[in-house]
Amino acid sequence: MSVAPKSRPSRDEEVDVVIVGAGPSGSVAALHLARAGVSVVVLEQGEWPDYNDYTGARPEHELVSTKLWHPNPNVRDNPNDYPVDTSTTDINPLMFAGVGGSATLYGAQWMHFLPSDFRVRSMDGVADDWPFTYEDLLPYFLEVEREVGVSGLAGDPAFPPRPAYPFPALPIGSVGQRGALGMERMGWHWWPGSNAIPSEKFGELNACVRRGVCLTGCPEGAKSTTDRSHWPLAIKAGARLVVRARVKEVETNDQGLATGVVYIDANGRERRQRAKIVILCANGVGTPRLLLMSGGAKHPDGLANSSGLVGRRLMMHPFASVLASYEDPLDSWRGPFGQQVYSHEFYETDERRGFVRGSKWNCMPSGGPVGVSGAIGSKVYVAEEGRFQDFWGGNLHDNVARRFGHSLIWGIVGEDLPEENNQVVLSKDLTDSDGLPAPQIVYKVNENSNRLLKFNIDRCLESVRAAGAIETLVSVPVRESGWHLIGTTVMGDDPKRSVVDQWGACHDVPNLYILDASTFPTSGATNPTATIMAVALRNTRRMIAERRNQKVA
Amino acid sequence: MSGEQTYLALADFLIPAHGKMPKFSDVCSYADATTALDFRDDLKEGFVRAVAVDAAGGAEPALEKLNREDGPAFSAVTTITIAAYYMNPRVRELIGYPGQENVQYDSKAVQPYLTDGTLTKVIARGRKYRPTPGL
Repeated sequence: MSVAPKSRPSRDEEVDVVIVGAGPSGSVAALHLARAGVSVVVLEQGEWPDYNDYTGARPEHELVSTKLWHPNPNVRDNPNDYPVDTSTTDINPLMFAGVGGSATLYGAQWMHFLPSDFRVRSMDGVADDWPFTYEDLLPYFLEVEREVGVSGLAGDPAFPPRPAYPFPALPIGSVGQRGALGMERMGWHWWPGSNAIPSEKFGELNACVRRGVCLTGCPEGAKSTTDRSHWPLAIKAGARLVVRARVKEVETNDQGLATGVVYIDANGRERRQRAKIVILCANGVGTPRLLLMSGGAKHPDGLANSSGLVGRRLMMHPFASVLASYEDPLDSWRGPFGQQVYSHEFYETDERRGFVRGSKWNCMPSGGPVGVSGAIGSKVYVAEEGRFQDFWGGNLHDNVARRFGHSLIWGIVGEDLPEENNQVVLSKDLTDSDGLPAPQIVYKVNENSNRLLKFNIDRCLESVRAAGAIETLVSVPVRESGWHLIGTTVMGDDPKRSVVDQWGACHDVPNLYILDASTFPTSGATNPTATIMAVALRNTRRMIAERRNQKVA
Repeated sequence: MSGEQTYLALADFLIPAHGKMPKFSDVCSYADATTALDFRDDLKEGFVRAVAVDAAGGAEPALEKLNREDGPAFSAVTTITIAAYYMNPRVRELIGYPGQENVQYDSKAVQPYLTDGTLTKVIARGRKYRPTPGL
């Protein structure tokens, strides 16, 4: 990267806005606030990515990535991350601390929420409606797409009419074609994948070369992450970014207004960043964790928590996958890894199925020989009680011969309904490298999700067999699948039933904002990054327009 | 048995010759395993314990014992073995794996699904989403 971050503000300098987290939402806010002439400092606990560390183009990739680029911070064991107490959850939360945020390790599947996702209560009688609609958010979806450099094909009957994507869809490859064949034989919906991966060079992003290693950091600089899409522009506009800065507390004054944050810098020193406005963009686990660590004696249950809902309603999208092998070659190590094709056949509610809401399927390549062997690395398809001999010896060779280069994976994302008992709390035992309490996840996959996943797996097996599958392997729910961290500081109009208003401002602390997916009342069934960035843009625009009316300390 | 001999015995049990595929020690050496281990410092302690196991009674009971009594050691030795094997150029050639390769394409090329009628069928099946204006 040609852009270097500027130095931190001088001691005691008060800035207009301090943002916690340089992931997708924090980056959008920083860019647009800086362009509006607002003084902005962003504190990020991780580092700038070094693209030489992404091993996808090297022979040792499968060996290295299962540790260094594992999405679970507990496995990665990097001191820039905080550990997570997962002793009380069915699903592990996955995340990454660094400039670009957890998107560093995402598959870049780009798909915004659908109209019904904003009207779940009205249409299906469960959960809550959002305070705004799909139509309200659509202009921001489209604007963010242009900033990110999304590739895709418009015209999908699963979405309302929309303009063309910024770049043509990536090739769907033999894997996508085989996935589509099964759907076509069933008479079901499918569509070429939309991905946050430009098919042509765009700004600091290079054109995708189908390396197929999207989930472990793109060595080509082609997968769109905000270190490349937003930060060069934000820094040019005057935003300042401080890395290895771990925020431990949001401070407030006697009037209950935020005055800034306290953070621990790279040398372990405690520092204070004063600001007129504080924005939290630390994801659905990190944001409630920070609020629960803040507030002091005046707010023993955490800051901005008069509703008691900080940390509650955690949604993580229980996930299932079906690996299908075929006789003929599919070159199934080639990317893009995100989604070559997708399906919304079962996205909307049909109560005859025995559950409400629905799912999105995405068809992916199965990757290299180590991963598909089932022997190590991803243990997705290895039964806990299985004998090791089942995966070694002649069986290893047979499994690799059958699957490697000949298989695809359908990922099934099911909408997760909010439940107050699914929550983020502070661990009593575990701490991060600075001695701050780690988050603990209390989460059970609910009965609606179990039914939803079973139905979808059964349909998926029908589809892959219709396309000639000779072997199928199912994993449900995948424990290492909590990519989408949603709902833990819910938005709403009623301060007794929500943490923030529709613009992301905390009811209790009007100059404290939350712009990440913590605020989402429901989770949809799509990958949430597109919606996260669109909501962040919408609310940032409002903040800029109303800045003269903003109450500050 | 030396640590090297023990390791190769374990590795050849895990990855024997099978059809066209060679056994581990036909294509990989102990040095290849230690080179792989240099990529994964976190596995080194477990690997050392694994190759110190008593394999005089055979590789299979030794691996059974490791799997039962020392999961991290079993994980270390199996992870390094399979990774070293499939990093080997001869093995990659035999299974047809060029690695995670760079594939060039024309982004403006007309995709077959746009001309062969398959996407037309998807569109013809009609709208999938539920509109919400007025709700």
